[in-house]
Amino acid sequence: MPTPILSIWLILAMPGAAILLALLIARPRWAEYLNLVAATVVFALAVSLPWRVHGTLVWFGGYLMLDAFAAWVTLCTATVYLLASIYALGYMRGMAQARGRLHHFYALFAAFGLTMLLAPVQNNPGLYWICIDLTTIVSAFLVGFQREPECIEAAWKYIVLVSAGLALALLGTVLFYWGGTFTLGPAYAMTWASLREVAPHVAPPLLVVSFLLVLIGFGTKVGLAPMHTWLPDAHSEGPAPVSAMLSGALLNCAMIGVVRYLGVLEHAGLGFLPQMLMIVLGSFSLLVAALFITRQSGAKRLMAYSSVEHMGVVALGFGFGGPLGVAGALFHMLNHSLNKSLMFFGAGNMMHAYDSKNMQAMRRVGDYFPATGSIWLAGAVAITGAPPFALFLSEFTILRAGFSGGQWWAALWMGLLLVVIFVGFLAHFRNMYYGEAPPVPPHRTISAWQTVPMWLSIVPLLLLGLWLPNGLWALFEHIAAGISVGVIP
Amino acid sequence: MLIFHLDPLASAWFSLLVIVALTLSFVMLGSHWLKNHIWAFAAESWVIAALSVTVGAYGHYPELYAIAVLTVLFRGLLLPYLLLRIIGGLDVQREIHARLSPARSLVLGVLLVVFAYEVSAHLGLRLGLADNIAVLALTAMLGLKLIGFLMMVLRTEAVSHILGLLLIENGIFLGSQILVPGMPLLLELVILFDLLVIVSTFGLLTRYLKTHVGSTSSHDLQRLVG
Amino acid sequence: MTTIPPPVLQIGQVLTVLLLAPLLHGFVVTAEERVQRGTGPSLFQPYRDLWKLFHKELVIPDSATWLFWAAPFVSFTAMLIVPLLIPVLTNYPLPLSDMGDILGGGLILTLAGFSILLAGLDTGHPYGGLGSSRESMLAILAEPTLILVFIGITLLAKAMLPFVVNHLLVAQPAVYWAPSHLFLVAAFFILLTVETERLPIHSSIQWEIYMIGEARILEYSGPLLALLKWASWMKQAILYTIFLNVLTIPWGLSVHGTPLGVAGSLLALLAKWALVALLMVGIDTVQSRLRFYRYQEPLALSFLLALLAIVADQL
Repeated sequence: MPTPILSIWLILAMPGAAILLALLIARPRWAEYLNLVAATVVFALAVSLPWRVHGTLVWFGGYLMLDAFAAWVTLCTATVYLLASIYALGYMRGMAQARGRLHHFYALFAAFGLTMLLAPVQNNPGLYWICIDLTTIVSAFLVGFQREPECIEAAWKYIVLVSAGLALALLGTVLFYWGGTFTLGPAYAMTWASLREVAPHVAPPLLVVSFLLVLIGFGTKVGLAPMHTWLPDAHSEGPAPVSAMLSGALLNCAMIGVVRYLGVLEHAGLGFLPQMLMIVLGSFSLLVAALFITRQSGAKRLMAYSSVEHMGVVALGFGFGGPLGVAGALFHMLNHSLNKSLMFFGAGNMMHAYDSKNMQAMRRVGDYFPATGSIWLAGAVAITGAPPFALFLSEFTILRAGFSGGQWWAALWMGLLLVVIFVGFLAHFRNMYYGEAPPVPPHRTISAWQTVPMWLSIVPLLLLGLWLPNGLWALFEHIAAGISVGVIP
Repeated sequence: MLIFHLDPLASAWFSLLVIVALTLSFVMLGSHWLKNHIWAFAAESWVIAALSVTVGAYGHYPELYAIAVLTVLFRGLLLPYLLLRIIGGLDVQREIHARLSPARSLVLGVLLVVFAYEVSAHLGLRLGLADNIAVLALTAMLGLKLIGFLMMVLRTEAVSHILGLLLIENGIFLGSQILVPGMPLLLELVILFDLLVIVSTFGLLTRYLKTHVGSTSSHDLQRLVG
Repeated sequence: MTTIPPPVLQIGQVLTVLLLAPLLHGFVVTAEERVQRGTGPSLFQPYRDLWKLFHKELVIPDSATWLFWAAPFVSFTAMLIVPLLIPVLTNYPLPLSDMGDILGGGLILTLAGFSILLAGLDTGHPYGGLGSSRESMLAILAEPTLILVFIGITLLAKAMLPFVVNHLLVAQPAVYWAPSHLFLVAAFFILLTVETERLPIHSSIQWEIYMIGEARILEYSGPLLALLKWASWMKQAILYTIFLNVLTIPWGLSVHGTPLGVAGSLLALLAKWALVALLMVGIDTVQSRLRFYRYQEPLALSFLLALLAIVADQL
């Protein structure tokens, strides 16, 4: 295995090369496989990365850094990137609007992957902001790729809302830097570490205001309610592999920023308010998600609101803090990445097959598509947090953290809403699997490319749900110690 | 730090430029003609460049001269040109569906700036910077931010949304020139570049909106709800 | 170096305004014509006008009372008094200049306007009444702003004497470049366009429906008209001088009162006048006349600027 630093270079180089070659060769078939190869190599390099990183590595003139947390998010991203790349092969071939433009799609797709792989390893909060901004720009084109009025509208709303939110985050970043200039002098190297070092010397109100701005800004990108309004549109209108990337990978990439800033405030001894804010936003996201999930008609919009829900759960995990909460949140990130990709893949398959976005049109899924249908159903059970899948474990860990940390009211609230979502979500699936047969049976067949990634995500979910390796738990404890998000006093 | 030992003349210059920039944002609020917005934005960018030069001269930050030149080129010339091209291609001259009359939006803008001032003054007091230029810089940052959001909320034209966003960015840039003049050069360069990319993206998307949706007014973007 | 005795300088200030005001008016008229591609009258046409009017017969309406007689003299005298109070040539106070401060000068100027307003009503003719009523409406809008500007200046300099303000602005560039001061300059400039009968409110074209100032003195003829016209030109010169020497360009005044310095400051004054005059001509050229019901807009802007200046000053 190459060293961690070399691995990161390779991880960044592979999608970069894929973009260049796809554009240079300009042949759809080549672009497909180039992207797939890049994604496979990235995944192979990233899969063991979190365990190979000890301490914090900083290199490239201090611009890049790698710690276990960044490696973990890279792993989540790489997983989704690989799954989505496999799936895209089948899905995009079946899309009429994409004909002749597939190499553009894959170049953008790889670029999206690249920006998301760049973001976690940034050592400079300003550059991190820029990476997140770049993900927005690239993914906006992917969302609008089909050029249908709805897609363009979704892309437009996405980019306007997220850019506005990110502008707040930029202001917060500048204010964080300003806070440091009081002690470190007018010009100092802006890194996560230096912000942490200097935080205890900065006036608390300034830190709190800066954090509020950053939380709202990156929170928009994470999709925390009430800043989530772009999310259902963008996630539902993009092609299914893009939706999977948006939901499974991008939200984590934005979350890492929020958590790092949270760590800065923790270091200054101001952890209570920010963690409480995380809890409040997380709880509110759960509420909004529950309300919209129960009365949803679009298949992918349902999944999008489920993303709001799960980001709320992750926010609650970091909000509860402590080793337990952080571990739960980290575990949940991976589980959500796997599971949400699966759900979007399934939704994409069904949308292709029934030629509709509406769940009303999808009936008797299990009868027409026994294999895909059953995995999708299993995924639906998994994503609502039912055992024996891994999401049950992670959600349960977060709940435990809530109850043990004294935030029993938030934990109770979370448990209650999870039950509501469980019922609401699965009610849609019951309608889709049972009920009357559609007047016109679905005509499309589903290629192996579109089912294999679903298998690839449900199996680890099941395995991790049944048996949690010790190494994983040790890793979570290691990361939790690194980001030092404590239990709320 | 620059803001702690600033001679009164420099302080006067800074506040003058900051306030002129703030006033220009009110020109944007007070007009429904998109061209006026763009001219006001261009003028504001030039004011920011002047501020960069002044800060560079007083604080001995030679790299700020480069930033000033780039600000003029990018924000003062290139972005307004791109925006003018966008509205040239869209055949939209003015806001038709704005939610409030100019006079009312002006009053709202004043209230927001007062709020921004209150927050900044409070923050300044807690930081021991009560009578400092920093309070004004913070006010401009937050005030332009709120005015930018106000524009995005009240106006429906796509170009107005872009301008609202650019106004917010201008506010951040303006304030950061005074508060953190030593911010790494790389960062400022990248942000300028990023801005350019964003505006090009927006331009492309408005073209798509025009061709595929048939309208660039958010009034007509009602397909996706719930 | 010998210095000119202050009383002589004081008389010189009055004479400067008295004798050069028609020249300023001539310059404005000519420049405007030139900008609009006309030839325009000679620079010295106002002097010839005065000469002609003083040699004309005086016709008095039957309905006129003593007010009609008194108004020209009151306004002319008022215009002779104000130059005593303001820095025209020197930047230090001269004898009698402590008779009144900025507010006092403003009151004397207003008295002149008021007397003409009464005279316009006095004859009972429709145009005079029309002009007077319009003028009083404008005054209602403009006076509060003027007072606010004065308050702003006072707060800036902590004094109401124009000389103090002048000294402060010269000595402290920081105050000069402070936003509060420049806002006051902008507010005062808008007032200047209103008070010296320029666009966007006053039109220089003499049509009845546009008339404001001219309508009040429509009944006058001969020497009385000459006095009124001269007074209004002097008012323009005085307001320019206050705007320039107190607020905007406080430099270029005689410091010691030497003959050379006074001559230099006289030349500087002419140059500064020309500058503002050109600015006014520019505004007259690009700006169209506002409707009657939009008169409040420039004045409201001016009011807002003055208010902002005061707020900025107090922060």
